[in-house]
Amino acid sequence: MSRPERVAVVAAGVTTPIGQDLDAFWSSLLTGASGISSIERFPVADLRVGRGGEIKKLTRIKRWDRVPDCRATRLLVSAADELIAQVPLGPATVEPSRLAVVVGTALGGVEEGERALAGEGPRRRLRGALYDSPGDNLTRWLGARGPALTVSTACASGATALGIGAEMLRQGQADLVVAGGYDILCRFVMRGFDALRSLTRDEVRPFDKRRSGLLLGEAAALVLLARETDAGRAPLGYLLGHASTGDGSHISAPDPEGRGLERAARLALAEAGVGPDDVDFVSAHGTATPLNDRIETAVLKRLLGPRAPSVPVNSIKATMGHTMGAAATLEAIMCLLAGRHGQIPPTRHLEVPDPECDLDYVPGTARAARPRLSLSTSLGFGGCNGALVLESA
Amino acid sequence: MSAAAGIPAPAVRAVGLCSGWGTGVAALPADACAAAGGRSLVGLGRPAVQGERFRRATRECLWALAAVEAMLEDGRAERAAIAGERTALLFVSAAVYGASNRAFIEGTGGGTHFAYTAPAVVPAEAAIEYRLRGPSVLFIGGAPAALRAIWYAATLLAARACDRALVLGVETFEECADLYARARRRTAPPLVEAAACLWLEPGDGRLVLRSARGRSRGDGARRLGEMLAVGPLAEVALRRHAGYSDPLADPLGLTGAWRGEVTNLIFTKGAG
Repeated sequence: MSRPERVAVVAAGVTTPIGQDLDAFWSSLLTGASGISSIERFPVADLRVGRGGEIKKLTRIKRWDRVPDCRATRLLVSAADELIAQVPLGPATVEPSRLAVVVGTALGGVEEGERALAGEGPRRRLRGALYDSPGDNLTRWLGARGPALTVSTACASGATALGIGAEMLRQGQADLVVAGGYDILCRFVMRGFDALRSLTRDEVRPFDKRRSGLLLGEAAALVLLARETDAGRAPLGYLLGHASTGDGSHISAPDPEGRGLERAARLALAEAGVGPDDVDFVSAHGTATPLNDRIETAVLKRLLGPRAPSVPVNSIKATMGHTMGAAATLEAIMCLLAGRHGQIPPTRHLEVPDPECDLDYVPGTARAARPRLSLSTSLGFGGCNGALVLESA
Repeated sequence: MSAAAGIPAPAVRAVGLCSGWGTGVAALPADACAAAGGRSLVGLGRPAVQGERFRRATRECLWALAAVEAMLEDGRAERAAIAGERTALLFVSAAVYGASNRAFIEGTGGGTHFAYTAPAVVPAEAAIEYRLRGPSVLFIGGAPAALRAIWYAATLLAARACDRALVLGVETFEECADLYARARRRTAPPLVEAAACLWLEPGDGRLVLRSARGRSRGDGARRLGEMLAVGPLAEVALRRHAGYSDPLADPLGLTGAWRGEVTNLIFTKGAG
């Protein structure tokens, strides 16, 4: 087959605990500002861990009268607002039927279900509990009348959404695609991870010998994708390759050898038409659980071969927690910003090396480097794996 | 790129179907409302799957396994024929997570139950059981999600990212029956629990996916009942049973509607 047409990342928008626009997000990643705090929006007193990357107040949008009272929707709309400030998505830019929306999520509108079953608000709130409800709300807010799709590959969802969005463009199903991921902090997910004993009482320390688990965060991250020929002169970069794979190993733990993740990375590189030797930088999933970081390190060593020790690898989850469905999209945006600004954000709280995690994880401070080609990896419940290959403009 | 160009279309090797109406296609009614006899929900119950590994598995996970097993039976194939890295698994559902999410919210599901609230765990149980280790994506939504999954399967096959692709759908409603009863019109076709699995391989012809805003006539739901994302897969099973040589294409393409979006899979023969 001939090489598929390149897909450009034209613009991006983020809503995160460390900033509600790209500039604030990027500057916080570089300076090491923390988005972790005590959770205030719902009760956590009965949980072992009550901290996370909570967004205290949504500051970007002042009036919510066109937006349902659904936090997931509002995070998405806030990120979309930044996107359309860069590229207006009205009929003058794109025929509404040619604008598609693809979002990924691990939790969908589950908090709406929690609220409805607790007797809060009208029963119709239950409709908001459907996993594709926040994505549908975003589609309406944008005025998009093209395909609208929600994908859910757990915490790899933000990668899958970008990959599917790119494929829709390559096959001419849309001219522009708003793609990305989201998830919110709610009692449902905090209870679940608390029960699994996955949350740390310490700092989140990716790849550190003392790492003891993750903290959760909430975010939405969206990019505007276009075929290269339609992208204009100054895109953020290009999405060259994607793959999402299943481990077929365990319902919640990753494959002990990371075989599914390795397959995803190799398939994504193949789709991009590049090889492991072309990778300048890796944005790892890096949750700071003992198992994940060891497995990811082993996968990267097999994939990158003798070059592995010299390729910078980072994890930004210590800064704002694991934002689940949003994480992979945020990390993809981070990869492109690293290429644009010539800086790789550090892996925070990595202080004590682990002999089993012996790659260059960019500890301490940001690194002056301008990665052209980045690989971003993600894992999730259900043995889900995602990989993206990105090229900076 | 022209949307009309499309991609190489897949062929159907086998289909497995389990529904509240009974086993396989033969149990499907000609008129769902009449067959339901006033019931608003036609349930599947819990399949008899043996094994310690399934002690905690949810009903929806077990129906996913049953659908794959029915597909293997239809294709007269052994498990080894689908095992490995060259099999893609695309999962579709609008509401399969409802039961486990509700159980966890209301406290009837404990901490260990939490993993089962992730929709990804339903296909994961099938992937573990049948050693499916290739590309994998979950599409959430009604019938268009199933059509989108068939399209993506075709994309993966065309790119040679896999040799075969399974499109697996599961919809269960029983645990949230009271909630659906409040939300749906009394005259609506009954909700019918169902699980289906489609085995796709490279075929002849071309496939185009189109979507537009509007309403669908919903003929499938009147015939089979409302199976949401499983509806198009059940339709393919019906056509295969009726003897169509290419059940994706004959006698028409496939259509599905959800949230105001009508999606069409259009097949053109002989141009592959």
